[in-house]
Amino acid sequence: MFGPVVRAVEDEELIRRVAEGDDRALSELYDRYSRPVYATGTRLLGDAHLAEELVQEAFMSIWRAAGSFDPGRASFATWLYRITRNRALDLNRRRQVRPFSAGEEPLRNVSGGPEPEGGVDGWDVARALSRIPEEHREVLTLAYFEGLSQREISRRTGVPLGTIKSRTTAALKRLHRSLVNPAAEESRRD
Amino acid sequence: MTEDRFEQLLGPYLLGELTAEEKRELEGHLEECSGCRDELARARKAHDLLRELAAGGLSPELKERVLARARGEIPARSRGGWRIWVPAAALLAIAFLCAGLLWTITKDSSKGISLAATAPSSEGGGEVSGEVEGGNLQIELVVWGLPELQKDEYYELWYAKEDGGRISCGTFRAQQAGKTTVNLTAPANAVSYPQIEVTREPDDGDPGSSGEKVLIGDLRRL
Repeated sequence: MFGPVVRAVEDEELIRRVAEGDDRALSELYDRYSRPVYATGTRLLGDAHLAEELVQEAFMSIWRAAGSFDPGRASFATWLYRITRNRALDLNRRRQVRPFSAGEEPLRNVSGGPEPEGGVDGWDVARALSRIPEEHREVLTLAYFEGLSQREISRRTGVPLGTIKSRTTAALKRLHRSLVNPAAEESRRD
Repeated sequence: MTEDRFEQLLGPYLLGELTAEEKRELEGHLEECSGCRDELARARKAHDLLRELAAGGLSPELKERVLARARGEIPARSRGGWRIWVPAAALLAIAFLCAGLLWTITKDSSKGISLAATAPSSEGGGEVSGEVEGGNLQIELVVWGLPELQKDEYYELWYAKEDGGRISCGTFRAQQAGKTTVNLTAPANAVSYPQIEVTREPDDGDPGSSGEKVLIGDLRRL
């Protein structure tokens, strides 16, 4: 039913390009993972402004330290999650130097992240999105993150409306499969 | 209901984009088809998670701030040992700034580096000049006579090494007639790369180079 599937560039390939100074690869990783980083920030720090600062700090950290990423030790998502937690701790220490103002809270103790600590969270969704084919990720990104209607997506991509509707369904099903069975999804990529 | 029809309706149903008639059609089918209800439940799970992830309210300007900061800084290239490299990076940054300054001083700013056309664009040409400002390399690129692009293509300027290492300076489209001037930015360490290239890129989401060079220049001639 669909045309040839364009495979997504893997996170690990993107971080290798970041290590070479390729800021477009950084931009792609930002699109894939800024939302779970931000969600972790709001959960841990309880402050939207600090969560945005955390996003900046985390992505600057991967820009500077991309060369030290070792795919043999952890996935990119796990590596970024650790960076995010460490930067959140740093931000929290800095915040504690000054007295709390109304509405601010100390670092919250929460579970989550890419480790199998509980239910599905934003990290799992981001990682699953990075594993599905590009054309599927594109329709989901445009619909859910950019708020485009199916008709607007059709206009933006130049793909017929009927195909966009079917592709959205296929993408949701594929994302679900990638969430519940990531190993199968990985092998499908090979 | 055919499978194709079901596929057309399910995603838009979850997104609230069906007409009243389409909605009645789908819901009528769901009442009598347990397999499709299972499909709906799985798709709804993915839909709910995406909605939750999208609800964060991340400001669009934040990405530009992150990328602007990144372009102003030099990424580490080695594995591990970052503590050793912090002072080294500072020295390198100074060296790059000096190199950039030297580059700017030693050439006539009205003349850049000439870019020669590769075979597919034999009538094309270009000239690039630049200077280091605040840790970034500000580049002015003038091109002419480049091949006409398709709707989903663009040109990209790169600093490149023989081993395949590349730094992207940004993308652009060119006018078909006359000269096109674009201003681009690269990290200051780009001046240490020996070659400069303009490639033709498909808009396929892959940030890597297509390798389809249309203009090339040799920075070692400086």
